[in-house]
Amino acid sequence: MQEFSYLLDGMLVVTTPYHLLLMVAGVLLGILVGVLPGLGAPNGVTLLLPLTFTMPPTAAIILLTCMYWGALFGGSITSILFNIPGEPSSVATTFDGYPLARQGRATEALTAAFSSALLGALTGVLLITFLSSYIAKFAMSFSSPEFFAVYLLAFCSFIGMSKNPPLKTVVALMLGFAMAAVGMDTISGNLRLTYGMPELLKGISFEIAVIGLFGIGEILCTVEEGLVFRGEHAKISVKAVLKTWASLPKYWATLLRSAAIGCWMGITPGGPTAASFMSYSAAKKFSRNKDNFGKGELEGVIAPETADHAAGTSALLPMLTLGIPGSATAAVMLGGLMIWGLQPGPMLFVEQKDFVWSLIASMYLGNVVSLIVVLSTIPLFAAILRIPFSIIAPVIVMVCTIGAYSVHGSMFDVALMFGFGALGYLFKKLGYPIAPLVLAAVLGDKTEGAFRQSMLFSNGELSIFWSNPLVGTLTTCAILLATWPLLMRALKYVTSGFNGRTVKN
Amino acid sequence: MSTNQEPGGRSFITVRAAELAVAAFTAIVGAVVMHGSYEQGIGWEDSGPQSGYFPFYIGMIMLAASLGTIVLTLKDWRALARSFVERAPFAHVMSVFLPVCVYGVAIRLLGMYIASLLFIGWFMWHAKGEVRHARWKVVVVPAAVVLASYLIFERWFQVPLYNGPLLAHFGIGQ
Repeated sequence: MQEFSYLLDGMLVVTTPYHLLLMVAGVLLGILVGVLPGLGAPNGVTLLLPLTFTMPPTAAIILLTCMYWGALFGGSITSILFNIPGEPSSVATTFDGYPLARQGRATEALTAAFSSALLGALTGVLLITFLSSYIAKFAMSFSSPEFFAVYLLAFCSFIGMSKNPPLKTVVALMLGFAMAAVGMDTISGNLRLTYGMPELLKGISFEIAVIGLFGIGEILCTVEEGLVFRGEHAKISVKAVLKTWASLPKYWATLLRSAAIGCWMGITPGGPTAASFMSYSAAKKFSRNKDNFGKGELEGVIAPETADHAAGTSALLPMLTLGIPGSATAAVMLGGLMIWGLQPGPMLFVEQKDFVWSLIASMYLGNVVSLIVVLSTIPLFAAILRIPFSIIAPVIVMVCTIGAYSVHGSMFDVALMFGFGALGYLFKKLGYPIAPLVLAAVLGDKTEGAFRQSMLFSNGELSIFWSNPLVGTLTTCAILLATWPLLMRALKYVTSGFNGRTVKN
Repeated sequence: MSTNQEPGGRSFITVRAAELAVAAFTAIVGAVVMHGSYEQGIGWEDSGPQSGYFPFYIGMIMLAASLGTIVLTLKDWRALARSFVERAPFAHVMSVFLPVCVYGVAIRLLGMYIASLLFIGWFMWHAKGEVRHARWKVVVVPAAVVLASYLIFERWFQVPLYNGPLLAHFGIGQ
């Protein structure tokens, strides 16, 4: 198949000492960022963005994606050793990972986590390799109404499918759109919502929101329990690693199922976090040792990790082919690509074929490199977390501040970031989802552009969104997804109403 | 599920209070967005929708959803009397958030380097719990971190950091 030859070309481009060095650097930075609370994958990628401006796009995206894998791994380290999820998507790993560590089986847990993560990631990359060309070709026939419908579908799936209250998801989405709207209107050039403040001329960048919401907000949440970390020790012995690897094949069913869940949740904007939870629940339901879940069952680590990484990788598929990120980090990377002047979407596969296939090739290598690096550096990162909170926390805040400042060189952005930090704390505690906010902030301008173009074509008729079977299906699906919880409730009420009155909860 | 906090077990900040506060905030933001968009024109012109068209409805939806949350909170008033955050955890959060705010202002006045020095030093000086830092460490560690960031960011990555009016007065920085 043609994909293989493209992939080989990409491999050739990617396997240079410079790129390999970048991979290792990216992974190390990623683990660091994943291990420290307040610096997660979206935040870390955002902080690195300004530094990539002087690099060629291929090198830059390799650095960022490897940082992404590293951050996912790093989140697992703290989950297992410290019962602190370094990433929202590694929360499920704490359920069985930390108990295993307390039983002195930290090496097993860590090895199982990383290896199943690698397998999950490779599944995602395989998916990208073989599906991306087809999807890109298919998306070539898209025009503005279709694009708007796809964006709408992405946003509506957040509303209907996540476990956050729908109204709060809507508010988060709208907040993201509002952020994107501030500043210059891309179509007419008018200044919007600046209220005469010169600092708002350049708008509110998504990076500021990400650093504040994910960074400062995360620290504030972690700090509630006290300003200290406590953790288990871990030394990697090669024997234990090999023993765990030998025991992995017997979990093939869990691995397959989790990878499938992860890939699905990555492509549809469910994200790695939802994937890890779903996979854990599924594994628990189907396992023979379901009672051991939560007390230190290896399967309880394998399932969420595989799904988490599969989702993280496959989230890049819609990002590359349609320009729709499937996770918050993918959203930030999308923002990065746009800043570098690349337009993710079907045209990327035509105009920048080398870039895309180098990227895909680097995903294979990057993941393998990540596994090697992470297994060899666990004691180092575990030691870093023993640095007292009183040093680490202010340093993290300082790094976040530098990151926010470096976006536009504006102190106003820094103040805004702190504000987002407070908002992030409140949002997390009250169940307002942050990922859709980031998505809306990154995609806001494009969504609006697609909408206005469509309105121009149709002279203001909304019916253009049902003008052909494709766009009609997409729009209808979007509306169905958004109103899903309402529909389900109505259905339940109607069907049980025939058996007498339901008890109001 | 429904915990009635009767007198004797009153929460510091209840969930319902927090919900109302945040929903009110987003409602106000929605209204502000609507107002700002209205000024840009929310109708139609030859080149399609006016600038304010899209954001106006964004603001409207935000306002409506926020009001919806407020209504739902009022409906569940009793059940949501449970605790959002208790006094001790809140004190922990404030003990980080307030210095962070002061840090922000300090950067504006003193520049990134001096402010960071004081910021990290403050946290180390007030370290509670297991680790008490020796006096010399409280000075040396922040200095080392700030020096490292200078080398990494300004020299290596060429990202200039804010030096503030104080240092500028002495002719250093922008």
